[in-house]
Amino acid sequence: MSSDTALRADALGKRFGLRGGWALRDCSFRLPAGRVCAVVGPNGAGKSTLLALAAGLTVPTEGSVTVLGTTPAAARPRVGYVAQDKPLYPQLTIAETLRMGADLNPGRWDAAGAEQVVAGGDLDPGARVRSLSGGQRTRVALALALGKRPELLLLDEPMADLDPLARHELMGTLMAQAAQYGTTIAMSSHVVAELEDSCDHLLLVGGGRIRLAGEIDDLLAAHLRVTGAGTPDALDAHTVVESRVTGRQLTALIRPAGALGDDWRTATPSLEELVLAHLRNPAAPALTAAGDAEDAATARNEEHAA
Amino acid sequence: MTAALSTPAPARPAPRQVRWLLRLHRPALCAWAVLVAGLAGALLWLWGPLTDAAATAWHDYDATCGRGRPCRYDQDAILRYKDVYQYTTMALLLLPFLAAAWAGAALTGREVETGTARLAWTQGVTPLRWLAARLTVPALLVAAGTALLGMLHHAAWSAGRGRVPTAKSWDDVPTFYTGGPLIAGLALAGLLIGALVGLLVGRSLVALCVSALSTAVLWIGVHTALPHLWPVATSVSGRRGFPSYSGIKVAEGIVTEGGAHRPVPTCTVDLSPQCQALNDRRGTVGFYIDYHPYSHRWPLQLASTGVLLALAVLLALAALRLLHHRTTTGGTRPGREGAAA
Repeated sequence: MSSDTALRADALGKRFGLRGGWALRDCSFRLPAGRVCAVVGPNGAGKSTLLALAAGLTVPTEGSVTVLGTTPAAARPRVGYVAQDKPLYPQLTIAETLRMGADLNPGRWDAAGAEQVVAGGDLDPGARVRSLSGGQRTRVALALALGKRPELLLLDEPMADLDPLARHELMGTLMAQAAQYGTTIAMSSHVVAELEDSCDHLLLVGGGRIRLAGEIDDLLAAHLRVTGAGTPDALDAHTVVESRVTGRQLTALIRPAGALGDDWRTATPSLEELVLAHLRNPAAPALTAAGDAEDAATARNEEHAA
Repeated sequence: MTAALSTPAPARPAPRQVRWLLRLHRPALCAWAVLVAGLAGALLWLWGPLTDAAATAWHDYDATCGRGRPCRYDQDAILRYKDVYQYTTMALLLLPFLAAAWAGAALTGREVETGTARLAWTQGVTPLRWLAARLTVPALLVAAGTALLGMLHHAAWSAGRGRVPTAKSWDDVPTFYTGGPLIAGLALAGLLIGALVGLLVGRSLVALCVSALSTAVLWIGVHTALPHLWPVATSVSGRRGFPSYSGIKVAEGIVTEGGAHRPVPTCTVDLSPQCQALNDRRGTVGFYIDYHPYSHRWPLQLASTGVLLALAVLLALAALRLLHHRTTTGGTRPGREGAAA
């Protein structure tokens, strides 16, 4: 088992229905263990499908996904998952919901941790789940997912229903969990700013494909925002993600392939700029660290097998 | 740390999901208990006091009326027997539909629709164990309840046989289906139809309707196949008479000169000159009727129940296979459910 890879996809594809469109196609990436990964993309990009595949709730149409070194089905007991609509049994109370978590996860349930997440929201344990607000449900759903002390935590739009205060507090809880137990967290959102501060890894999904994958710092370092007087073909030597001409001024986001001339002013783009530039320009080539990482992982696996 | 947790875990205690299955469906469990207890009580009442009262009333009727004396008998007792018999029989006939509708809507359909099924699967319960518990526990409860009611119904009906002249004959369709294990077989098959439809459709209201309709179709199928599940008895007569039979008629026709039985649609007795002429032309030497007498009642009940139980097992396997295919196998790697469980 490659214990340093939490999640790996190889040519992963998922199609719904026999003649339906592809929700996800040809996705390859590797998420190292211990990272907090932002899965970012517009609505309908395939984020939820990707997380459901990783959680072993649905099977790929093609390709494969490896979770914690094994199949998603075999890894299920070690994976926590919170779906986008935070499903819970409405007829149970909060206390009953947590007791159910304890009964369904014998041997690995962290009752104190789960209760702490709920207590943070000042919730009455005797309240029925059906009486809770959206944000309160999110809190209970997170408590249920964290209580099983997962090695990989998959969260689908976890912060969407939360007020800023609760968001801040729960994000803190998640980060503490990640730091204390080395939990790998993958959480999706279509709001980049929401995840920028907490995440160190990025997975940008657009149109059912992986557009960017890697450490956020590496991705930012691989791109430059350049401004100068010139024509777009002056940047032909580099990979141009996006370029815009205003008057005689050219502004572009590029992946530099070498040194740039002195007549360009350069700056490091923000994460939001990087994401938006890639989403606005679907034709821009994808940048995923999967290639190198895959070779390394394969080599390690072979070593292991030998 | 991760590596330590990744090593094969020591045997953990099994998740206690039956307890939560019963908790989640507590209202249905209570309703079922009340329904079974109520119907059982009504059938016991019918079996003892009501049958006795009706028999006494009929006895009084025969002893007094029509002999020049004024009629003195308890008409209400006769009517009460008839009403309670009718209502309990109808209620028992509805149980398979109830089981199917509940299973389709609440047991699987709603869980798939609202995503709580996925919640359970991402706790420590594999999808197959989740479904296995959801099939086994309700199946036991439904089978036990309906079987009890079916046997009580048969006992109540038997008590009135020969004593209450208006008691239904054994081959009366509602009486036959409700009196014995057959109603339990139907309810069990209905439950599993509902569970499978709920998984397939994933929407509780649609699953409710489809399950109930599928159960009706199943019932029609059972009713059509029923007479052929056990060898028939045959009654034969010559040209001048007609074959005597009692019970369920399966087929009728003519006996040819060679002794062969040939089913024919018309003129199975020589009632009219036209029929006589027709039977002369086709060389009829007698008539026959294939039928099931009262002694075939239990063989028919048990054979059809057996067929329904086999169907229920197939439906359960189909549901498990469907779920396994959706959540575990597929893609490039075979499922490792067994290893995980």
